[in-house]
Amino acid sequence: MNAVLLERFVQEARELLQTSASGLLTLERDPTDATAINEVFRAVHTLKGSSGLFDTPALTRLVHAGEDVLQQVRTGAMTLDSGVVDLLLDSLDQVGAFIDQLDRDGTLSGDADRIATHHAGALRARLAGDTEAVVAVIDAVLAPAPAEWLAGFPVAEREALLARARGGEAVLAVRYTPDEGCFYTGTDPLAAIRDVPDLLAVAVAPRAPWSATTDDFDPYRCNMVFTALTTASREAVEQAMTYELDAVELRTLADAAAPEAPPPPPHTPPAEPATLLGEAGRHIVRTQLRVIASGYDAVRLRSTGALIGNLLRSLRQDDLRDHWEIALAEAIAQEDCAPVAAFLARLDDAPVATAPAAPVVPLLAADPAPQSSAPPPPAATGEPRPASKTLKVDQGKIDLLMNLIGELVVQKNALPFLARRAEEVHGSREMGREIKEQFATLDRLTQEMQGAIMQIRMLPVAEVFERFPRLVRDIARRLDKQVELVMEGTDTAADKTIVEALGDPLLHIVRNSLDHGIEEPATRVAAGKPPVATLRLRAWQDNDCVVIEIADDGRGIDPARIRSVAVDKGVVTREQADALSDQEAINLIYRPGFSTAAEVSDLSGRGVGMDVVLSTVQKLGGRVSVSSQLGHGTVTRLSMPLSMAVTRIMVVDIGGSLYGIPIDHVVQTTRLDPTVIQRIKHREVFVLRDEVVPLIRMTALLGGQPAAVDPGRGEAVLVCRVEGRTIGLVIDDFREGMDVILKPMTGLLADVGGYCGTTLLGDGRVLLVLDLKELF
Amino acid sequence: MTKPHVNGKRVLVVDDGMTTRLYYRDVLETAGFGVEEAVNGVEGLERALMGAFDLLIVDVNMPKMDGYEMIAQVRVDPALHDIPIITISTEAGERDADRAYSAGANLYMVKPADPALLTETAQMLTGVEMAR
Repeated sequence: MNAVLLERFVQEARELLQTSASGLLTLERDPTDATAINEVFRAVHTLKGSSGLFDTPALTRLVHAGEDVLQQVRTGAMTLDSGVVDLLLDSLDQVGAFIDQLDRDGTLSGDADRIATHHAGALRARLAGDTEAVVAVIDAVLAPAPAEWLAGFPVAEREALLARARGGEAVLAVRYTPDEGCFYTGTDPLAAIRDVPDLLAVAVAPRAPWSATTDDFDPYRCNMVFTALTTASREAVEQAMTYELDAVELRTLADAAAPEAPPPPPHTPPAEPATLLGEAGRHIVRTQLRVIASGYDAVRLRSTGALIGNLLRSLRQDDLRDHWEIALAEAIAQEDCAPVAAFLARLDDAPVATAPAAPVVPLLAADPAPQSSAPPPPAATGEPRPASKTLKVDQGKIDLLMNLIGELVVQKNALPFLARRAEEVHGSREMGREIKEQFATLDRLTQEMQGAIMQIRMLPVAEVFERFPRLVRDIARRLDKQVELVMEGTDTAADKTIVEALGDPLLHIVRNSLDHGIEEPATRVAAGKPPVATLRLRAWQDNDCVVIEIADDGRGIDPARIRSVAVDKGVVTREQADALSDQEAINLIYRPGFSTAAEVSDLSGRGVGMDVVLSTVQKLGGRVSVSSQLGHGTVTRLSMPLSMAVTRIMVVDIGGSLYGIPIDHVVQTTRLDPTVIQRIKHREVFVLRDEVVPLIRMTALLGGQPAAVDPGRGEAVLVCRVEGRTIGLVIDDFREGMDVILKPMTGLLADVGGYCGTTLLGDGRVLLVLDLKELF
Repeated sequence: MTKPHVNGKRVLVVDDGMTTRLYYRDVLETAGFGVEEAVNGVEGLERALMGAFDLLIVDVNMPKMDGYEMIAQVRVDPALHDIPIITISTEAGERDADRAYSAGANLYMVKPADPALLTETAQMLTGVEMAR
């Protein structure tokens, strides 16, 4: 630097050494004197900071070792015995000698490095965890990190870290290249790299360049490579990344790695194209992005606002400053940092303004237009697109089409009413009949249309199942369990929305099963089971539902334990718990608050409980049931609607009101002569094709006055199949079948049981659609 | 040393290391900033509240009151809500940076800050128009 600065440093260093030495002597008499410890630590710390201003790595290395020892003393990790005090005093004497050399010669002698290493080694040997030994191992085994590893770090940060490494600190570079399919195996790469202790910095880069278009972009493929720098020991790093060691490379960040011209000029320009901001500005902008990401804070936003305003003034970007003011005002008005964040993100990679007249639009692109920086569509390029028989269509278009067809289906339901009016009001039977004929054709066409559009949206459940073999294998290996996964019915199809939404609940249930249900091989053998557990994923279609079953042959759920845990966690009271049947107790696992940190394991924990599974499934109109036999395993069954769209129902008259019944349940309609109705005990039954079918009088269930039975026609009975059982519903009259879009019961009606939803009739009335599964 | 073209902006440097303070003074005065110094958080807070500064550069580890505490106290004063604050520390860890940001710092730099980078940063934060 310059002579004045060095002179000042020599003076300061002598004062600090004096302070440290007298503090250490105080400490030798009373090792618990906190004031003295802090004083000595701060003196050495300041000395380290100042020494970094000069090109004296030997000095910095030695002071740094002393600081590390004092840090451990300060935190109580090390007690300060006279041996340590001696070592520290020796080292300080050596530092004093270095300072004398600097004062006299302006530089350190040739053997300074060796001497400093010797003293620093003696100090580090006293550190808890024996870092010295580890350092030696690393030095022996690990090669220095290649320069490209460090290319992802900002220049300033990289320089500072290299300076530390040159100063003698053991800095490790961790290169983590997660498996491409890691998202399917439950690995969270970011969490994994964050687990590395004593992180100094992390850089993320794509391992292959991002393609310019989204056509072949696969969001499920991990294209990241992480580089982390840490002061932790190699063992600590390996310990923290046990599960991902295959994907990890370790190097030292040592002198050798530090290229003398640190920002390698051939590398830098492609990585950071000429931008408006430059190195300093980019650091400022990225820091602000990071700071505001923590949430809206008026004071902070104001400070960021002033700061970026200054930055833009500094860069003479007056137009951008106006836009910045607007974004800022928006953010303040909305109490949301989003507009500001968007501006900053664009500013971050804004190119150098080529002409002064260019500036306005790009940074405030309020329209959701494609990114202004995106290259033009590849249409003009010479590569012809391969002819393909599949058509990629935006999902939104399919959804729109489906909604329109849904509307059409409902609208056509008005025609039968029209036909009746033609007959009854206008007295034209012929017109009525013609309308009905037209209706029949329209009905058939819309049904086909609907089927076709639904086919487009149908996906096999294999889409979600396929990630499980890998996932189960990996998790089982981590848990030292042996599990065979059996998957059945993978080609069962359901609506895309349903299939895609099934992923998370399934993952959660499978994890639970592996973690809590399936036992270790030894435990299994002791219980007389085969050491390899079986986990069965099955899917099949059941009427208008797709059923997914996750069955394991593990230890099952212990209702007694569930009761006590639920009581402990305040989910239910002791009295309530005791009153529950075993099945009801098991169902408690779906209550919010049941699964909490107390049973967090690294796999199924994370504070998300089965209640989330339940709410996800219910949101989609499905249901979850779990049954378990203690010692024999657990079966969880998700029953999801096949499609989110149109349901075909039959309208019936019960007690003077109209109700809908999903047609998938209806086996047949019949009229029973009262004489064929028999009684078994107090229940009415009748015999249908050699099967005894119980009869249920719907007016008794739903209220209303039963209509008088026309003796000539008999009782109207709708024979239905509900979860494998056949029942006969005694109603007053049959009406037409129709396709409807079911709207779920919301608001005050949300908790009313027995209905799967409502729909509008062609004449504007609201129709309640019965949920037979819930009723019977 | 050529005498600087004065840019009219004032910087308060708060650091207990006198060499470091001199270094910042050197770098910043060369770029035309007016520089004042404080040797710990208590003194730094006092001076920040009194004088009209355009930028604070604050060390983290200082006697009497550390940098985090000082920054938090500075931000309490409505007049100082939007003054740019840089923390400069020997620790390159993310955790220290986060702590500085949550105290109210706008930027975190690692010691020893490169002179050119420090100059450019200070100019940007205070709105000094940079040479093209």
